[in-house]
Amino acid sequence: MAPLVQVEGLCKKFGSVRALDEVGFDVVSGEWIAIMGPSGSGKTTLMNILGGLDRPTGGRAVVDGTDVATLGERELTRYRAEKIGFVFQQFHLVPYLSAVENVMLAQYFHSIADEAEAARALIRVGLGDRLNHLPSQLSGGEQQRVAVARALINQPKLILADEPTGNLDEANEQTILALLQDLHASGHTILVVTHSPAIGRMADRRIELAHGRLAQIVANTT
Amino acid sequence: MFWRILWRLLWASRSRLALALVAVASGATICAALVNLDLDASDKLTREFRSLGANVVISPAQTANTAATMDAAVMRRIDAQQAPEILAAAPYLYLVAQTGDEKIPVPVIVAGTWFDQIARINSWWSITGRRVSERNDAADCMVGSEVARTLGLVPGSRLTLRYAGREATFIVAGVLTAGDSEDSQVFVDLAAAQNLAGLSGQVGLVQLSVRGSTRAIENVMNGLARALPGLDVQPVRQLAVAEGRLLERIRGLLFATVALILALTALGVLAAMAGLALERRRDVGLMKALGGTVRRVMRFFLAEAAAIGILGGIVGYGAGMLLADWVGKRVFATAISPRLIVLPVTIGLMIGVALAGALPLRLLGRVRPAEILRGE
Repeated sequence: MAPLVQVEGLCKKFGSVRALDEVGFDVVSGEWIAIMGPSGSGKTTLMNILGGLDRPTGGRAVVDGTDVATLGERELTRYRAEKIGFVFQQFHLVPYLSAVENVMLAQYFHSIADEAEAARALIRVGLGDRLNHLPSQLSGGEQQRVAVARALINQPKLILADEPTGNLDEANEQTILALLQDLHASGHTILVVTHSPAIGRMADRRIELAHGRLAQIVANTT
Repeated sequence: MFWRILWRLLWASRSRLALALVAVASGATICAALVNLDLDASDKLTREFRSLGANVVISPAQTANTAATMDAAVMRRIDAQQAPEILAAAPYLYLVAQTGDEKIPVPVIVAGTWFDQIARINSWWSITGRRVSERNDAADCMVGSEVARTLGLVPGSRLTLRYAGREATFIVAGVLTAGDSEDSQVFVDLAAAQNLAGLSGQVGLVQLSVRGSTRAIENVMNGLARALPGLDVQPVRQLAVAEGRLLERIRGLLFATVALILALTALGVLAAMAGLALERRRDVGLMKALGGTVRRVMRFFLAEAAAIGILGGIVGYGAGMLLADWVGKRVFATAISPRLIVLPVTIGLMIGVALAGALPLRLLGRVRPAEILRGE
């Protein structure tokens, strides 16, 4: 079975700084990968390249048969809409849109907004009673659940989560982890950038970076 | 979804957008008023001009063999034109009659005319006594101030005119001061002048007051020339040219003011939008990260600016009509008619101005999502 994600010799330079240096790994469909490493090791840069938010300066990053390094601006936009679901540490919800509208926004950029479907996605993450609340009326954990629902709504090939529990208390962290486990169990491919050893242990494999280089890949045994 | 998001955007930024709306509505008010005045001003100004005297003259063709008079039926043919631009048409028959003692006669220029028409053409005349305004008032006359001074005439005096053995007596109703050749003339009823001159059914020339632009006046003149073969239809050149120049200058001034107001409005919107653009930077970065194309994302923000333009244009149109009416009453002493065409013009101008002023929002299209999401 061909891997869903193929990263080969990936490099990214910011001026003279090598954020990523010859990184390579594969991810098969349905895998849960934790990308770990100290601050400045290139985790977020790697995720941004895989998510089509940034371009590598060398190497290949192929996702679902598409080498993101070769895409133009418009194609990258389409790629993000169709293949990627993002979950950010800062939640990044649009503050003047309600929970359901934030989810519909992702649908709108993908194809057609469907309020009923967006509501079902929010019910799935336990926010059935918060559909019309603004982000400012939701707790941090609830906001992150809206972000998860938004990431899922277009059935992306790859879910990229950057420190999804970094801004949450322990109770909310458990809720989000349970959600990620649920997504993994239902066959989604997930890449999570994290400092959390707990998340690292829950993933199928840990890809550890250090100073922009691949330090090691550790497979978790259950 | 587009309209839903647009409404949320407008509502969320209502206090900031209110500033832009005030700028647009203020600009729209003045623009709508000036554009409406421009459309109405030509009409109003030419009406004003028309109180300054005739601007078209019809006379017998200037050839050696033709008589110096023409058939008074010309007046019916002018009427038959049914040109709404013709505000008044006054026939004239001039003769040099004598007055005073028969042994020491004093020559005086007599103009037989229609009093009701010269009242309309020369409403600016200064009259002492009474202005004769009935067309066929054969008993009264009006005398120019020079004639009155020479002959010692005052309102109520009797004036006897003699010509070729014929005689007619009139009561001086009023003394007019025009500051021109009219001050040396005596104005009597046309039929009375025809009887005195023995030229029944004849007139020497016709003065017309025609309103409208230079082109409209030319059209009327062309129509008259076709309907009155053998007669000369001429403009009173100096007056027509001066009117045209003045209208052009006023129009130029109005357009320059509108352009200046539009530029100032755009600057006002620019100032209001600059702050908003900073707030929207994060939203644009996020929307692009979620797969929104630049065009699709910017549509929200440009539609927001356009909405300000539309709303400001509508509010400004209403206020502008009130302003135009006030200016019309103060300057032209008459109400200005609101022109509906000004509404789409104002809205169109304001949308353009709001979009130009929304330059900071347009620059948001260059935002790189990765930088925004990193918190830069």
